[in-house]
Amino acid sequence: MIMLLAGVLSGLPVPALADPINVDVVVDPPVISTVLGDHFEITTEIKNAGTAPTGEILAHLNVASIEGSVYVDPEDWSSERSQQLSLKPGESRDLSWEIQAVNSGRFAAYVVVVPFGDSVKGTEELKISPLVKVDVAQRTTLTAGGALPVVLLVPLLIGLAGGATVYRVRRRRVTGT
Amino acid sequence: MTLQVAPPDVGTSHQDRAAIQGQSGWLVIAEQESRDLWTSGRGLILLFLFSILLSAVTYLTSTNQALNFLEQRESVNLVLQLAVAVGVLVTLVVSADAISGERERGTLESLLVTPVSRRSVIAGKLIAALTMWFATFVVTIPYVWVLARGVGILGQALALGFCVGTLVAIGLGSIGLLISGVCNSNKTSIAASLFLLLILFAPTQLPSGLPQGWFFDVLRRANPIDSALAYISSILVNGHSWTQDLSYLITPLLTAIIAGGALVLAGPRLVRLTPGVHAG
Repeated sequence: MIMLLAGVLSGLPVPALADPINVDVVVDPPVISTVLGDHFEITTEIKNAGTAPTGEILAHLNVASIEGSVYVDPEDWSSERSQQLSLKPGESRDLSWEIQAVNSGRFAAYVVVVPFGDSVKGTEELKISPLVKVDVAQRTTLTAGGALPVVLLVPLLIGLAGGATVYRVRRRRVTGT
Repeated sequence: MTLQVAPPDVGTSHQDRAAIQGQSGWLVIAEQESRDLWTSGRGLILLFLFSILLSAVTYLTSTNQALNFLEQRESVNLVLQLAVAVGVLVTLVVSADAISGERERGTLESLLVTPVSRRSVIAGKLIAALTMWFATFVVTIPYVWVLARGVGILGQALALGFCVGTLVAIGLGSIGLLISGVCNSNKTSIAASLFLLLILFAPTQLPSGLPQGWFFDVLRRANPIDSALAYISSILVNGHSWTQDLSYLITPLLTAIIAGGALVLAGPRLVRLTPGVHAG
């Protein structure tokens, strides 16, 4: 208001006030414990809490690591991370998000609602869901020690068989039998 | 000039003839060629080198602790693609040696006087060359098991590698035999086959980040190796169903049918002695 008043008085252009996206976002479940590689699903309920239609809006899923320095590529976690919708006043919509835990550790998954389309001014406020805390337990499936027997034994066995065959062939040539 | 082939009963022992008449000619040739390949040590040496390569790649992959779950699927894909590509390579090398090698070693003449049709000779040699592919696939199994058991795609990866690899091996093995029949020199035959494989394999190494328009897609689908490897990737890495990208297998299938058909049609003219080549 002060900025608006100052702008009017000084004759300077006034920055547009943010148009809030008047939606409520609820997420379920709040906590997920899973194991590396497993799939899980979270659901968000987006409700138009205003008196006007929302217009086109986009719900977008994101995943971030909340400990250590684990690199997270959200595309690996979910191949479909955006859902477009529009809601009438009072209308609500449940959106499901299929996710696969591809890193171990502690993560936050959340959904952000952004305006969508040509009418976006760039000054709108975003609505963000509460975070879903995702604990992913490590499941070690591939280790250097575990691979070592196969890595050593297979060439060794084939090498022994090949060596024995070549030796037998050469011996047969020498003896002429 | 083609050497006149002696009648079937000339130069063949009664035991050989009885053995050949007792079962199909192509089976006898396949058995004999396979025995030569594996008991001479040639096949085992190629298999040993193949296992060293897979061991190195598998060990390097397993030491990388930064791999996430999806990247481990990609490592299964990498090893399987490598197995198919190198397995097909050794099959091609063996088939490229099959006729021109016999000519140079002077053993083709004795093969020609056996009471076996030349088409049976070709079929037997192709089957013997394919044993090389089947052996490389068997060697691949433990490596894929190490990498894929934790990500639940072991059965799928093995079935996929076997089906796609066999299809490509039949096609390129047939091409190798055609080249071997046409070339007088064994060196020329093997060099031409390897060069062909290099041409077909090179596009698979293009970075996937490059812009890929329709022309790139046409080139990829026209290349039996590239399209076969793309099919494997689409299932193992992208999680597509077996039928979703089946169109990728059109070229490998056509290659097998066309090259196999050309072998059947041209086989009698390919298995022959040629002037200027050592005949024993």
